[in-house]
Amino acid sequence: MFSNIEFFIVEAFRSFKRGALMSLVAVGTITVSLVLFGIFLLLVINLGNVVGDVSSRLDVVAYVDKDISLKEAGALQIELAKLQGVTKVRYISNDESWKEFRKDFGAKLDLNEVVRYNPLPHSFMLTVRTPELLSTVADEVVKNDLVVEASYSDKMVAKIKSLVDAVRIGGAALVILISIATLLIVVNTIRLTVLARETDISIMKLVGATNTFVKFPFIIEGIIIGVIGGVSAFLILKLAYDAVAMRLALALPFLPIMTDQGLLLVVYVVMIFGGTALGMLGAYISVSKVLKQKF
Amino acid sequence: MIELINVSKTYSNGIDVLCNVNLNIGKEEFVFIVGPSGAGKTTLMRLLYRGENPSSGKVIVDRVNVAELDAEQVPYLRRNIGVVFQDYKLLPKRTVFENVAFALRVTGAPRSTIRRKVMQSLELVGMLRRASAFPDELSGGEKQRACIARAIVNNPPILLADEPTGNLDPTTSWDIIQLLEKINKRNTTVLVATHNKSIVDDMKRRVVALENGRIVRDQQLGGYNV
Ligand SMILES: Nc1ncnc2c1ncn2[C@@H]1O[C@H](COP(=O)(O)OP(=O)(O)OP(=O)(O)O)[C@@H](O)[C@H]1O
Ligand SMILES: [Mg+2]
Repeated sequence: MFSNIEFFIVEAFRSFKRGALMSLVAVGTITVSLVLFGIFLLLVINLGNVVGDVSSRLDVVAYVDKDISLKEAGALQIELAKLQGVTKVRYISNDESWKEFRKDFGAKLDLNEVVRYNPLPHSFMLTVRTPELLSTVADEVVKNDLVVEASYSDKMVAKIKSLVDAVRIGGAALVILISIATLLIVVNTIRLTVLARETDISIMKLVGATNTFVKFPFIIEGIIIGVIGGVSAFLILKLAYDAVAMRLALALPFLPIMTDQGLLLVVYVVMIFGGTALGMLGAYISVSKVLKQKF
Repeated sequence: MIELINVSKTYSNGIDVLCNVNLNIGKEEFVFIVGPSGAGKTTLMRLLYRGENPSSGKVIVDRVNVAELDAEQVPYLRRNIGVVFQDYKLLPKRTVFENVAFALRVTGAPRSTIRRKVMQSLELVGMLRRASAFPDELSGGEKQRACIARAIVNNPPILLADEPTGNLDPTTSWDIIQLLEKINKRNTTVLVATHNKSIVDDMKRRVVALENGRIVRDQQLGGYNV
């Protein structure tokens, strides 16, 4: 079989050239599908970034009495940690809050000029598992006598999170759907190139070619189609993403746009390999189908 | 070499093409299969290389019941049976050399062996000169020689020729039949299905006559008619 590799490759290129139009249609199909695939993948990853951003805000802040003793604080921390849905409790002394506050606003005015003493209460920051838990936990927390007030970032957080979750799941479903649709289109396109060579195949079979032998050149042709499609899609997507993402990042700096080159590289590699796999699998399925039906 | 035992073939459209055929062909025989159009000659040959499966009965080729062969085994059967067609079935975009080499490529033979054997085969059929020609540059007789070269390049013990002279003029037909006889003398069993009366009558070989899917005559040193 291996002495034939060269023959198979020559055959594959020959067939690719002979059915140039059909091959181009297959390449185009793979390119378009992979670009769509890539757009969704990047969209999902970027939304994941937003979610990551939002998740870090799943906190309930419990403000406590200013005169709380260290011992009481310790006991309270243990108490709060026991609440349903709370994953982490962090004690934030009023000094720490004050430092934070001054860091945020200090540039604008010299606070020490205005306020001579630290006006902030001590607090606990409770991290909860899901956004739905924010209000329940807050309600529970205020029941405690030592807690003066509990607050959490507004309901938008929950809304964004569930929206993003929906888009994420929808995106994943779409990516799967697009892959299947692409595979089907590729199978049918390559099927045409296989059918165009029906006579060749019947003669090959007649002189004693095994099915594997018949399939090989088509699979290599599928790989060629897939690689070209994958690389084209990669180039299109890379140029588009670089242009759009960089512009967006400049215009709307608060948007957590993913510019991690490593992760981008992964996306591009997935596209090229995805294209190759699609071409190969598509060719394999279509040639197997034709062989089964006709020979 | 070839044995058919109670072979019947009914196509899916319900036509009985072969009915209870029994036939025994020895090693290195030369046999004509004659009969009117639609008698079942092509079908009988197709059964031998598993182009079709019989509806019942045994088709034994070289001690193996071809009817029971696994699909994966069929290619190896076909490498032992050369087939020649009335319409040649040459690949149009390939030269004579490449067409003949094709039958060796599928066996995974090394390139040097392919070259040597193709040359030998083309030499035998007298086509060495035309090795680099494409099929549409060849006359009918030359196409048939190329087809025969491809059929014998693997040195198969059996050669089947289905109306090999169907599209050829009398002189060329005679050349082709003599070529088949030459191949037969090189220890190859040869079956020829034909409508060519003068050739069958002149050759005086074994004749198997089919009519409506039954063998109506099996005669040594026979003629086209009784
Ligand atoms: N694949 C098929 N499906 C259905 N019927 C078929 C098929 N092949 C052949 N037949 C029928 O079987 C019968 C015998 O056909 P076959 O080709 O064996 O005859 P033949 O003796 O070779 O005829 P000819 O001399 O014209 O070549 C014919 O009636 C034909 O219509
Ligand atoms: Mg026939």
